[in-house]
Amino acid sequence: MTPLIDLAFLLIVFFILVARMGGEQLPPVSLPEPRHAATTSAGSRPRLAVNVIANGDQTILSLGAKKFSDDESGHRALADAIAQRIRRDPTLPVDIRADRSLRYDKVEPALRAIAQAASQAGAQGVTIRVCALDQQTAIHEQKAKHE
Amino acid sequence: MIDVVFLLLVFFVCTVRFERNEKVYRLDLPSRGITADPLALQDAPLQIIVGIRDGDRCSIELRADGVRRTAENFDTLATAMEELRRRPGVADGLFETSHPILVVPAAGSQWQDAVDGFNAAVRAGYANIGFAESKR
Repeated sequence: MTPLIDLAFLLIVFFILVARMGGEQLPPVSLPEPRHAATTSAGSRPRLAVNVIANGDQTILSLGAKKFSDDESGHRALADAIAQRIRRDPTLPVDIRADRSLRYDKVEPALRAIAQAASQAGAQGVTIRVCALDQQTAIHEQKAKHE
Repeated sequence: MIDVVFLLLVFFVCTVRFERNEKVYRLDLPSRGITADPLALQDAPLQIIVGIRDGDRCSIELRADGVRRTAENFDTLATAMEELRRRPGVADGLFETSHPILVVPAAGSQWQDAVDGFNAAVRAGYANIGFAESKR
């Protein structure tokens, strides 16, 4: 009897691990943590995460596993990559995950790239979201919509 | 029996989420290149000007036509914005919840402060909030 239950549990563990590996791996980012955060749940739907990571004096921009340089050509390449993904699935929410220690002008190019990508893709009503850490439950839903 | 206990242990270790709770704000970025409707009334956005952090202090100003207020911190900013919001049964509210709000961070200000300004507007009950280009 014991070997059978062993096998059953091993199979469960195996499938959980495999399922997790298949999902999107998000790089660790120290997200902003506002007091009394009025955020909403990110939900379980697939999303497109644009990461702005602080790396010493440098800033790394990434979309999934793909990294982009923090200069004019990198910003353009990021906008093109986002536009390509939006064209494939216009319902995909675009999340911006930026390190809280960064200056706003380091995050601004990523915000501009997302706005540019949305207009490039010609998609109306692309959902753009800002990620933050929240220990509380959501207070209320925001109804802002990007057009 | 110990096999089963260990397997259960491994199972719970694998399934528990160690990462902290990541939540989101819906964001309305200013759109460009869209032809404005000449007949539509253009609401001047209510601006939240976020300054450069000096130690644990950060200058915060609320600016619109006929409104100019400074806030000590983001909690008082949220309270001031809520007072300005039009609510049923309250006569002195100036802005609808759909009124455009623009977070205008100064060049060199922190992303954390910009998000705090955004959060204050959401807490005050507004729903049409965006980030502007940094103020130089």
